[in-house]
Amino acid sequence: MSMESNNKRPSTFLGRMSNDSFISLFMVGVLIVIFALACLIVPNFYKAKNIVNILTNNWYIIILGIGVSFLLITGNFDMSVGGVIALSGVLSVYFVQGVNVSPNELANGLGMPYVVAILLALACATCIGGINAFFIAKLKVPSIIITLGTMMLARGIAQIITRGAQRNTSLPDEFGILGNTFVPGTSVKISVLIMVVLVLLAFAYEKKTVSGRRIYLIGANPEAARLSGVKVGRQLASLFIVSSFLAAVTGVLLASEYIAGLSNRGTGYEFDALVVALLGGVSIAGGFGSVLGMFVGAIILSVVTSAATGLLLSPHWQFILKALVTFLAILAQRYALDRRRR
Amino acid sequence: MELTANVLEIRELVKDFTSVRAVNNVSFDVKRNTVHCLVGENGAGKSTLIKILTGAEHRTSGKIKLNGLEYQARSTKEAKQKGISTLFQELNVVDQLTVEENLTLGMEDTTLGFLRRTGKTARIVEVMRSIEPSIDPKQLVGTLSVAKKQIVEIAKAVASEADIIIMDEPTAAISESEIKRLFAIIKGLREKRVTVIYISHRLDEIFELGDYVTVMRDGKHIDTKPISEIKDRSELVKMMIGKTVFEQYSPKAVACEDVILEVRHLSNRKLDDISFEVRAGEIVGFYGLVGAGKTELARAIYGADDYEGGMLYKGRPLGGAPDKAIDAGIALVPEERRTQGLFTILTIRANIPAMNMKAISNKGFIDAARERKITLEYIDKLRIATNSTEKEASKLSGGNQQKIVISKCLFAEADLLMLDEPTRGIDVGAKSEIYAIIRELSAAGKSILIFSSELPEVVNICDTIYLLYDGKLKATMRNGCDLDSEKILNIVTGGE
Repeated sequence: MSMESNNKRPSTFLGRMSNDSFISLFMVGVLIVIFALACLIVPNFYKAKNIVNILTNNWYIIILGIGVSFLLITGNFDMSVGGVIALSGVLSVYFVQGVNVSPNELANGLGMPYVVAILLALACATCIGGINAFFIAKLKVPSIIITLGTMMLARGIAQIITRGAQRNTSLPDEFGILGNTFVPGTSVKISVLIMVVLVLLAFAYEKKTVSGRRIYLIGANPEAARLSGVKVGRQLASLFIVSSFLAAVTGVLLASEYIAGLSNRGTGYEFDALVVALLGGVSIAGGFGSVLGMFVGAIILSVVTSAATGLLLSPHWQFILKALVTFLAILAQRYALDRRRR
Repeated sequence: MELTANVLEIRELVKDFTSVRAVNNVSFDVKRNTVHCLVGENGAGKSTLIKILTGAEHRTSGKIKLNGLEYQARSTKEAKQKGISTLFQELNVVDQLTVEENLTLGMEDTTLGFLRRTGKTARIVEVMRSIEPSIDPKQLVGTLSVAKKQIVEIAKAVASEADIIIMDEPTAAISESEIKRLFAIIKGLREKRVTVIYISHRLDEIFELGDYVTVMRDGKHIDTKPISEIKDRSELVKMMIGKTVFEQYSPKAVACEDVILEVRHLSNRKLDDISFEVRAGEIVGFYGLVGAGKTELARAIYGADDYEGGMLYKGRPLGGAPDKAIDAGIALVPEERRTQGLFTILTIRANIPAMNMKAISNKGFIDAARERKITLEYIDKLRIATNSTEKEASKLSGGNQQKIVISKCLFAEADLLMLDEPTRGIDVGAKSEIYAIIRELSAAGKSILIFSSELPEVVNICDTIYLLYDGKLKATMRNGCDLDSEKILNIVTGGE
């Protein structure tokens, strides 16, 4: 009996690859179809400038998506990333603002040197991930509960520091450099470059490293992972801290780009990050998915919003459009996977 | 309706699974208003027979008559409607509802979807009162003990006018005094015109409770007799085991000497003061029935559960966590392969090296070529039937899945390999392949601990056999000399 099945070789390339790569490839297919449709309908959609725009304008969601995807693969949620963006952005501004320079309290900060202020803001905002890690890895509280709590905690602190508004005065000139510099000779921002580097690093991490493999083991079966010697708590703790750190970096970049620290910056980004991960084929049940898929998911979303703008669709309708695309893409995914499993 | 003397008549019942005949031409009668006990070793076919009666499995052939009428159930619900209720080990009550609500659950009287208070509720509550007056109908079921939850279920079955209540090891999880109360209730069911089919591994209970006993072995019906015609435990034990063949065991040529694992006074929630030693190259078997503490012992040694007491492995204390056990050189093939051993949605390639990632990586980076080579090596060595290393583990058969879990542990290069129910649910061919691997490892000087509830398995491959009952180590036997399967079965069913 075993001989028989040993001789049965898979006939196609598609049949031989893992479900993981299959879904990534499938979503690339979906992306191409949507892009082709958009090119047919929307004038000038195929132009290089527009394509560059599509590939880059979601950079902050993609950076968040890295941490969120990895946690999703382990079977956990990180809903705190939007809050962390606000916190790190506001802190970076507050730390660097001059001391007692104005009667307006929102113009006075701690007067730290720029580099120190940025590093300290990153460190403080990353502590949110530390709180997540403690409750989830140590006390085994479901991640969705804790990260909803820290989401409010992070944004709450940002609101207190900005009095519910923003801080944008008495900032040194170098504050705006990071977010507003372009890669020489292109229209690509440094932030986008950082995003691309991070995605490539994350992809290498997930496919090539032992630590990356453990993420899948935990997501596929946490108990089997533990019995196979994976330190599940430690692994989850570091992922939550990394996810917060990535969100903190995003927050600092956005604050620099707008030269302001807003307490409501990044509102709803945690959901956008979830949507692009799910669009990219990351399984909500864990154990399955890839950052590359998430990247494709983000581009699909970007194509759709860009096409909608190109068609002069009222911004009010954009949410509905996004919803439709999300439904369709995920239905297509399920259908493809079910067909394959048969 | 004229009541037949036999409430249930089973004729030439057969159930085939892909590789085994679980129920082989079984025929017997169950007399009305009696307690009919069903006994046999693990794998004797009891559970399959029960599943056919309750509608969870479908027979391959044969006839069943209930009250003289042809009986067939497609679901547990249909079985219940036709008069066969079951008290499963996993109780079927809703903790968040009251006793009264539980009793009427699924048979509520309603008008347009709204609950109506009718005489029915009162009548059912009355039935329960007559069985066990101490339970308050307004009490939340969650606040009741396991024993009382069982009584609520029994009351529900009686109220739904069940002809037969099947009880599957009802005493496994309840205390001594509760058992007494439960037995009184079961005896009282005769007056309520209910027949009980009672399954238990504890043979003393059968003598105390039963009117009739049916013995099964290897899927076959051995005998059905009134309990009064059975002389004593040992006669029953003899019927259960028949002739066990020990021919497969061949004693070790060399004596095992170096002590590799020393367990001293190990205790926890399920284990009571267990001490033993394991030598290098030795195959040690832990035999006991369901609930005896085998899995708990394996998990404690592995550090997966908490424990008190001392353990020395190669002279050093163990760390109390699976990752530390693996580092020290211990691996465990867990009891439940799908939920504890296997990453079902991942590929074979991701599964096999999972316990020893160091061996396929350099400074934390996976060496893909080595990973693939190792995977192919184990697919070949253990003859795992697959056409690709990229196949998800979930797509393989049970035997092949178990081989993957074993590959995982072999690749961990442990000197002490523990296997908990290593051949459960896999076919005969895969079984003997797994035994061959175990013997090979032992010959290479590795120590093996086998935790099993299948006596032939333990007897055929183990050098030393420990008998467990109720979390205690009851006896030690060297294979080959003082082995007496009758005595073994006597001990693991609670005898002395």
